[in-house]
Amino acid sequence: MKLLPKLLGVLVAAFIAAPLFIVVPMSFSTAPSLEFPPPGYWLGYYAAYFTDERWTQPTINSLIIAFGTMALTMLLVTPATFAVVRHRFFGRGLANLMLTMPMAMPHIVLAIGYYSYLGDLRLTQTHLGVIIAHTALSVPVAFLILSANLKGFDRNLERAAMSLGATPLRTFWHVTLPVLRPGFAISALFAFIQSFDETVVAIFISGRESETLPRKMFESIRMQADPVISVVSTLLFAAVALVILAPVVWKAVRKRPNRDCARGGTPAAKDAAPQDVNPCAPSRVQLEA
Amino acid sequence: MLSVLNRGAAAPGALKPWLLLLPLVLFLCAFFLVPLGQVALMSVTEPEFGLGNYAHLTSDSLYLQVFINTFLTALGVALCCLLLGYPLAYLMAQSSPRVAALLMLLVTMSFWTSFLVRTYAWMVLLGNNGPITAALAFLGWNPPPHLLFTRLSSTLAMVHILIPYMVMSLYSVMKRIDPALLRAAESLGARPWSVFRQVYLPLSAPGMVNGATLVFMICLGFYVTPVLLGSPQEQMVAGLIGTQIEEFLDFGQASAMAMVLLASTMIVLTVYHRRFGLDRLWG
Amino acid sequence: MRDPYLQVSGLTKSYGSVQALGGVSLDVEKGEFVTFLGPSGSGKTTTLMIIAGFENATSGSVRVGGRSLSNIPPHARNIGIVFQNYALFPHKTALQNIMFPLDMRGVPAAEAERKARAMLDLVGLSGYGDRWPKDMSGGQQQRIALARALVFEPSLLLLDEPLGALDKNLREQMQIEIKRIQKSLGVTTIFVTHDQSEAMTMSDRIAVFEKGRIDQIGTPQEVYRTPSTPFVARFIGDSNLLPGTVLDPDQGLVRTEHLGLMRLPSRLAAAAGAPVTLMLRPESIHLAGLAAGVSEDAPNRADISVHTVVPYGDSTLLIGRAGGADLRIRLRGPEADGIGSGAALSVLWPASAIHAIPAV
Ligand SMILES: Nc1ncnc2c1ncn2[C@@H]1O[C@H](COP(=O)(O)OP(=O)(O)O)[C@@H](O)[C@H]1O
Ligand SMILES: [Mg+2]
Repeated sequence: MKLLPKLLGVLVAAFIAAPLFIVVPMSFSTAPSLEFPPPGYWLGYYAAYFTDERWTQPTINSLIIAFGTMALTMLLVTPATFAVVRHRFFGRGLANLMLTMPMAMPHIVLAIGYYSYLGDLRLTQTHLGVIIAHTALSVPVAFLILSANLKGFDRNLERAAMSLGATPLRTFWHVTLPVLRPGFAISALFAFIQSFDETVVAIFISGRESETLPRKMFESIRMQADPVISVVSTLLFAAVALVILAPVVWKAVRKRPNRDCARGGTPAAKDAAPQDVNPCAPSRVQLEA
Repeated sequence: MLSVLNRGAAAPGALKPWLLLLPLVLFLCAFFLVPLGQVALMSVTEPEFGLGNYAHLTSDSLYLQVFINTFLTALGVALCCLLLGYPLAYLMAQSSPRVAALLMLLVTMSFWTSFLVRTYAWMVLLGNNGPITAALAFLGWNPPPHLLFTRLSSTLAMVHILIPYMVMSLYSVMKRIDPALLRAAESLGARPWSVFRQVYLPLSAPGMVNGATLVFMICLGFYVTPVLLGSPQEQMVAGLIGTQIEEFLDFGQASAMAMVLLASTMIVLTVYHRRFGLDRLWG
Repeated sequence: MRDPYLQVSGLTKSYGSVQALGGVSLDVEKGEFVTFLGPSGSGKTTTLMIIAGFENATSGSVRVGGRSLSNIPPHARNIGIVFQNYALFPHKTALQNIMFPLDMRGVPAAEAERKARAMLDLVGLSGYGDRWPKDMSGGQQQRIALARALVFEPSLLLLDEPLGALDKNLREQMQIEIKRIQKSLGVTTIFVTHDQSEAMTMSDRIAVFEKGRIDQIGTPQEVYRTPSTPFVARFIGDSNLLPGTVLDPDQGLVRTEHLGLMRLPSRLAAAAGAPVTLMLRPESIHLAGLAAGVSEDAPNRADISVHTVVPYGDSTLLIGRAGGADLRIRLRGPEADGIGSGAALSVLWPASAIHAIPAV
């Protein structure tokens, strides 16, 4: 391999990394407005973030809404995924299309729709309204991840369980569910993040009462006033780093071959590439922003 | 759930899958299709029935300008992402697993960091008191240029925000290129550049198409970053739609623009689907 | 007459327009080891899945111990299955996997564990109870799967190509092991494979599958010596198949297309002039002059010119032209020494080595 493309690659990596890490020193800066490098360091804006209700309330709202979205999404998506993956039936293609469609929508389009429709239903500015909208947006991601896991699920495990005397219900409870647990967990996590990150729809429908953290951040950046934004950014970035690094560190500490998502102990599954950091990442495809 | 397990057993009945699907389908009808339909409806009924809003879109050169601007920006961002993403993905594909994992970690981290955080970071970088302006001033550019709230700042930030999509698309394809093919080409007398040009590049083309399509589509409807970092004089479609609503409460005009935006996105998707099949796009 | 233990009759199965099974019938006695042998796609798995209750037959029935299984769900059939990929539960240890069927039957935990440990002993993995499936080798997983399928004393044991994923040495070891365990428990067993030597060494009887049907059921000797179709003759062992027509059924005389007149050991059931295929195993052909007790006069002899010599170590395969067709001859040990390509040989075979396959 030649040196030049390698060097280019390293430069691009730096281009990706630099803006991510610049928010960290900014959060400790004493400067009241954008200034880099910071003129001095303190923790004042951290204190401000954790005590100012204009920041804590949106954070709490966002958490409530994300948990609600996650629960509602999984409740709706789980049976639907079993139907689409396990059955051949008339209208299956249509169902598949419908479940993935929200993903292909520019969020601004849906934002207008929700603004007027949920307004008619008197659901704007309520947690429930935002949860409903976010659930519609989370369905495709949750569905795609869960169905990929379910497709990879070895039906022989269920056959084996039944041949060993387990009724269908017990088979589901003792075999299907536990084996698919990582798939469910990842699917739910994605639904949570989808909601916690969603900005555009929230800007238009969350209003004062149910203002989410992204909406508050958006407004704050737009007014370019509040230096607390750098604190929130750093905390969010740290949370992402934690979620991504935790499994890597965990794996390194345990030093065991990783356990495949849901495939089970088939010989083939053992060969599945072990060094993928985040095999499910690319499914976060959203026309948001 | 009980009967899900027995595909073949008892009455197969087409009813069972639909029963399992029913809650979700009803939900999506009520809270996805209907709101979407309402947008379509508003575009022809607000403020009065007719195609007036669409006529307005074509007659007023401002709108046309915004659409062209959006299209060109999306194209440019997709191209930049491709040009920058390719060397990185190539580096990852050619490196040892450890280095590749490390780089993947970085890309994944960027991918998962909120758009808002990354947009804010660019505000810091490009601000009047930021490091880039300072560097330009140091190099003798006096007075240093205004970088923020220009087409440059929003494009730069969008490239940064969307490049992970491109790198992931490219890497997933490159990782599957059999190194034996490259060695075979070399053993058949190809020089390194020819190996790349004749073998590697064509084999990685699906990743380029996937990544570029994704980036282009997301960029078409991008709201947050252009609104926060872009020039108010050179809005993109999504931003203009937002303005129509927030400032003028002109739902009809906003909806008509939204429908055109939606249609453009659907056209890109359909063309992609015709040629490559949609299921490949979502990775 | 007493009913057979397992009675499969007239099974057919269609997937849309594809017919997977076209009428499979067979009887298995209690304690018997029957192998389903056939190429991939011939319907072995489908038959097994119908017996186990995971697929519904389009028509036909399965009875065990005189009782029809048609309305019994899989979990109530008491049939043990070993899958090709083992299907061990990845979230349970080896011991927990083996205890699973006992749990499902409400066996108290202590007794379940005792039985499961006894099974671990039987399959030779006493110390491995706490291992996770992913931490075990293919052969070990195989044994755990076997133990799990046997611990609840099933009325029937089904094994679907259980050795397919193992390498050659381990395969042979497991063949012996499975046979030993099956014998010691006396469980009625159906074993699926596409490997003919595996079928020959393990089975009491072999059912040869072709295109969704059973061509022949018989002991390994029977299917080898007296195949009932050309397919069986070709699929099991090496053979020369000689097309011909019956000349004199009472005398057992057949005129073959390429090797002229042949005399069979006994009279033929077919009428004069009927087409017939003769099978001649390569190892029953001898060099003229060396074979004791074989008369040297025609018929049952040929002059060939050798064009290919394949040494196998313990034997040598010669392929030569005779009467416009290839004839395969397998000579043991040193008999073939000095025979090279281009050699002209005179060969002969006893009438008893010829088996007539009626034309279909
Ligand atoms: N679920 C299915 N759908 C359609 N065809 C099937 C299905 N299962 C098996 N078949 C077909 O039935 C035939 C027999 O398959 P199988 O019983 O698996 O063969 P074997 O186990 O002998 O290899 C094959 O032609 C196969 O393609
Ligand atoms: Mg099979």
